[in-house]
Amino acid sequence: MSDALRIDPTDWRTDTMRRRIRARYAAERRFRLAGLAAILISVGFLAFLLITMFVNGIGGLDWTFLTGSDATDPDRVGIWGAFKGSLLTMLVTIALAFPIGVLSAVYLEEYAPRNRWTDVIEVSINNLAAVPSIIFGLLGLAVFLNTMHLPRSAPLVGGLTLALMTMPVIVIAGRNAIKSVPPSIRDAALGVGASRIQVVFHHVLPLALPGILTGTIIGMARALGETAPLLMIGMRAFIASPPQGFTDPATALPVQIFLWSDEVSRGFVEKTSAAIIVLLAFMLVMNGLAIYLRNRFETRW
Amino acid sequence: MLAVALLIAGLGAIAWWTGRTRAAALARVYDGRAHSLPAHHGWYVALWTIVPAVIVLAIWSNFTGGLIYQAVLASPEAAALPAAGMERATVLSEAYSLAIGATEQSFRPEASGIAPAYERAIAFYGWIGFGAALLIAFAGGAFAFTRLTPRFAARRRIERLVMAALRIASLIAVLTTLGIVLSLLFESLRFFSMVPVTEFLFGTHWSPQVAIRPDQAGSSGAFGSIPLFWGTVFIGAIIAMIVAIPLGLMSAIYLTQYAHRSARTWLKPALEILAGVPTVVYGYFAALTVAPLVRDFGLALGIPASSESALAAGLVMGVMIIPFVSSMADDSIAAVPQAMRDGSLAMGATRSETIRKVLIPAALPGVVGGVLLAVSRAIGETMIVVMAAGLAANLTANPFASVTTVTTQIVQLLTGDQEFDSPKTLAAFALGLTLFLMTLALNIYALRVVKKYREAYE
Repeated sequence: MSDALRIDPTDWRTDTMRRRIRARYAAERRFRLAGLAAILISVGFLAFLLITMFVNGIGGLDWTFLTGSDATDPDRVGIWGAFKGSLLTMLVTIALAFPIGVLSAVYLEEYAPRNRWTDVIEVSINNLAAVPSIIFGLLGLAVFLNTMHLPRSAPLVGGLTLALMTMPVIVIAGRNAIKSVPPSIRDAALGVGASRIQVVFHHVLPLALPGILTGTIIGMARALGETAPLLMIGMRAFIASPPQGFTDPATALPVQIFLWSDEVSRGFVEKTSAAIIVLLAFMLVMNGLAIYLRNRFETRW
Repeated sequence: MLAVALLIAGLGAIAWWTGRTRAAALARVYDGRAHSLPAHHGWYVALWTIVPAVIVLAIWSNFTGGLIYQAVLASPEAAALPAAGMERATVLSEAYSLAIGATEQSFRPEASGIAPAYERAIAFYGWIGFGAALLIAFAGGAFAFTRLTPRFAARRRIERLVMAALRIASLIAVLTTLGIVLSLLFESLRFFSMVPVTEFLFGTHWSPQVAIRPDQAGSSGAFGSIPLFWGTVFIGAIIAMIVAIPLGLMSAIYLTQYAHRSARTWLKPALEILAGVPTVVYGYFAALTVAPLVRDFGLALGIPASSESALAAGLVMGVMIIPFVSSMADDSIAAVPQAMRDGSLAMGATRSETIRKVLIPAALPGVVGGVLLAVSRAIGETMIVVMAAGLAANLTANPFASVTTVTTQIVQLLTGDQEFDSPKTLAAFALGLTLFLMTLALNIYALRVVKKYREAYE
């Protein structure tokens, strides 16, 4: 007590002050290290996961695996059937989600009057973006299968369900992209006599397109990795030949991974990991494409 | 089908070109001062060609099912049909799939006998519909074509249609929300007419296996959902958050406050990849690699450990949530005014003191909102818990024991038999409804917190 009173509090040369400064610097270093450790743990976990899958699965990647379909014998299984199912599902998804998503984004951002009804639309889009994916599966089961009697296990139904899930993502990305187009573009177009529709479709939309596409690809990548809703609508059947159309029974890449992970036979560990490598490669390509689009075409105004 | 679609699209293209050329010619005669551009006239004619034809085709394809059925029953081959309703229906549906080429051969000889009648009827009504659509397309196109004059406001009509399309597109989101709420509510009400609400909400015993015959022992399963919600909260809101909050928050702090520019360009995308890995991959990793490690660790500590432990699922789920927490924390720290940071540093505080004493308290509402959003995502997450958390509905606080979650049970209930009247399958919808309401409440509350906080600094 008396010691603290005797020293000048601004004199940093005293031992007490030096000790205190050292302690504060040590705390600074500890905090910084803790931050570095946190991010290294996160990234390290990712590396651990990727390396585990790679080591387990690289032996299973061969030509028969890439071109075959599901089988009971782990040596003869292949990924092509599930991959084709995913492809057909994604086609349905993008054919529905992209136009609907972009048109809603345009409407909400450019034309919607500020009223209660617009609020309802905005609230439901924001909520849909946060609804758990399995709920969309329940919706698909109740509406598409039990009410509309569409075929079970079909890429058509899977695509419809995933489209409802992806659409809000595209709307949100689209609105941000449209919002970032400066008003001067609109004013200029209006000034030379364009109608409000022409302003948007001839000027705003082309400028916002890179942003919209980036958001769309990210949404599609998420839909490609989605499993739970597809389980709900029955895309988990044993499919020994690739689907020939949108209404054939099919399975999808992530669902195939889930099905193989349940197999008891040891040989399936390798095949599951190999399928995961294929899936991750596609995710990487899609995300890479999104990043490329963003960097290459996005204009900073 | 594809041929018809292509034909109509082709007609539309021709109509567009004709309308455009005609309008351009008219405009030249009229001294070039037409109301709309030639392309607008083209679109006007094209839409009048395509839209009515497509509508006619759609309505017709809804009607033909019944007409074809009538025609087949009236055909001479139908005399050989069995009279019994059930068998008759099977034969007819088999013949139908033969006729459209969905199957190569049938199991019943009667079916292959009647298939030609089906083929004839399908072709007959198909041609009628096709002819009608073609006629309507030409009529529509001709009608639109005769209306083209230089004074004709084609642009205004096209734009009215575009606006209508925009409005309809924006309605889809509302319809989806409504569809979710109504379908969940409807099936849940059916469930609650069989199982009392109080038992579902407050019961502590969950075993949804319903016996086949009502007189069997233990015929009604137990539907007390408390153990499921405990498991969900234990994994998603407790274990996962113990992992995700410190790691996510510290990652965000390091990336925004300390990391070198070059380090940030590598570390930030790496975190984003963590968010992009499909959940089925996390689930497989949790089940294959993490779960055995956790079990061995638990056994080494002398705790009864299951190979499908809450801890394994929770740990992996926490890692999955890290990028989410980190980006929310990033946003809220960035929203703290620079003046507060500068003030603290100017008073002689070190950087970590500024962060701990000024930035985090100021950003806390935003961080809390972000964490609530993360919780809502974690409790709705399905694949990790399905693959790693087990099925036993235990009410335990031992992280090495197996617990089950709401989403696991939904998957479990709906992937077995597909009877739609048993309480077992309907229970999935009741669980879905509760899950939906839980995540909805968390999201609304969290968004309100985040929004309020943003307003405070603007």
